[in-house]
Amino acid sequence: MLLDVICFSFLVALIRGGRIKEFPKFQKIYLLVITIGLQVCAVFFPLIGGIFISIAYLFILAFLVFNREFEDIRIFMVGWFLNSLAIWTNGGKMPIDPVQARKLPYNFEEVVNGTNFKHSVLTESTNLPFLTDVIYMPSIIPRVISIGDIFIMLGAFLLVQRLMNKPISLIRLREGKSYAAKK
Amino acid sequence: MRQKNKIGFYIKGIIVQIGFVVAAISIFYSSLSQWEPREHWGVLFIYTLLTIFSCFTPVRNANTIMTVNNAVIFSGILLYGVWVGVWTAVIEAIIIATLVRINPLKALMNIGQLLMTIWTVAYLNTLLKSVDFLSPLISDLILTVVYWFVNLVLVGLAISYFQNKGWVRTVIAISKGFTSTYLLLLILAGVGSRLVEYYGVIALVPMVIAFLTISFVFHHYYDNVVKLQQKVEEVKRFNHNFLTTMAASIDARDRYTSGHSLRVAYWGREIAKQIGLSSEKVDEVYFGGILHDIGKIGIEDEILNKKGRLTPEEYDKIKQHTVIGYEIIKQAGMFHELLPAIRSHHERVDGKGYPDGLVGNEIPLIARILAVSDAFDAMVADRPYRKGLPIDQALQEIRRGAGTQFDEELASHFIVVINSLPREELEKIIRQNGQEHKPFQDAFH
Repeated sequence: MLLDVICFSFLVALIRGGRIKEFPKFQKIYLLVITIGLQVCAVFFPLIGGIFISIAYLFILAFLVFNREFEDIRIFMVGWFLNSLAIWTNGGKMPIDPVQARKLPYNFEEVVNGTNFKHSVLTESTNLPFLTDVIYMPSIIPRVISIGDIFIMLGAFLLVQRLMNKPISLIRLREGKSYAAKK
Repeated sequence: MRQKNKIGFYIKGIIVQIGFVVAAISIFYSSLSQWEPREHWGVLFIYTLLTIFSCFTPVRNANTIMTVNNAVIFSGILLYGVWVGVWTAVIEAIIIATLVRINPLKALMNIGQLLMTIWTVAYLNTLLKSVDFLSPLISDLILTVVYWFVNLVLVGLAISYFQNKGWVRTVIAISKGFTSTYLLLLILAGVGSRLVEYYGVIALVPMVIAFLTISFVFHHYYDNVVKLQQKVEEVKRFNHNFLTTMAASIDARDRYTSGHSLRVAYWGREIAKQIGLSSEKVDEVYFGGILHDIGKIGIEDEILNKKGRLTPEEYDKIKQHTVIGYEIIKQAGMFHELLPAIRSHHERVDGKGYPDGLVGNEIPLIARILAVSDAFDAMVADRPYRKGLPIDQALQEIRRGAGTQFDEELASHFIVVINSLPREELEKIIRQNGQEHKPFQDAFH
């Protein structure tokens, strides 16, 4: 989903002289497996898909909380939390702004007739519309993103930097120190 | 009085812990509906990016580090209104609360004070706009000062509550470190907002360049300041060690008085503190005490360490140590401020002292202080040939000498100092000698 962001992050990390050393270890990976299962269920039972997706988001949030010792995961948490608010308050689907979505080269019909298991159409009655997918992002891959997605992308970027053994610490940046985090 | 303080403390507690939180929630809630219109989403998006950027762009100050969030919030208020300011503050709070572990209640109170500041400034902004006789640039300046002031006063209130200190004092204390940089950033934000208003987003380019240049200059400047401070500290430490070593070597020559200089310095410092001298002067008295007997270097060992009575000629020679020490330090070209301590610590207020026979206030204060502590230590310290006097008896002597040998006022202050210290600690200090260097140093710092 974030293929372009991840590729870009790897490119930056390579330019910074990073190399993959070891894969970071995550706690409670089974939580992610459960969420994949829930999303599969959502595909098969589109009518109550919203419930599955809502619970899936809860599990992912729990996974992030268990792994919060790393800063990139905490940034993920911010983004995921904001997106979850939008999804939970809108029946388990992320509303997407039709005005922006029509600029995309994809078929929008699935979303309109409700068969898309992840998205719904943004309307007047949508709750917290400013947290839903409303911003058209033209490149690298054109897509419509939410404000939460900004944090998810930033988190992905930081995660890749850490993966490539060149971590960046936002806390240290904030304290006016060198951004290079302790390895 | 105490009762009044207690009531004040409770009122502060209620305002900070409940008032701030309620304000945070209600201002947040009232802004919620203004985030919903379609035309506002783009603004919220841009300000989210700006918030992330500003959260991690610190501007360094001499002692504090400040992020530029307030500038972003301020520009949001000026360009769009209270809802952008609230949004920025909330996003910042979420980022910081997730990234850095903080006490949730304190985080809520902090956002409360920030939202109240934002609300006040935004309210005043609409008021000034409606009156419409001020240029926007001037009204921005007024708002800058209001923002800074309200923010400062509310933060000061919260801090004064948590540290149980006076409100005004806290506000003054926290305003000292960062006011100039804070106002500079807000003024930049105000001007930047107006530029964006007239020229569009392109105006951000010169603004960002200006900001980066300023923070670059600040960074270098304060780096150098910190380095300089470290150097000064180093020199101070060196001086201190140097003088202490010197005192030890003076005392080592005179086997009757080991540790004497350090103790005289110690008592002298206590008196100086008691009479309320500045910390600089207190240090001066201390170092004066350490060096006061340096002239003994120039006295022959046979006289200095002689057992039994000194002949009048020998006694005259001993008296010379004040002048010898004075000459040594004068020639060294350092510690000039200590010269009176060395020359005049054997003067008496009745004019019967040496070397110059000064009277009363002609004797420099530092020397009058050290005269008391020198005499006290000479009386109470043990000598190889006799035990030291009991403390009470020594104090009796000091009291008797007040007005003749010693400055009357200083003598009474000294007695207060000694009586306020627990006897055990006193004994420990008196029995301390130069050999046991370590604990003695600890007792000082």
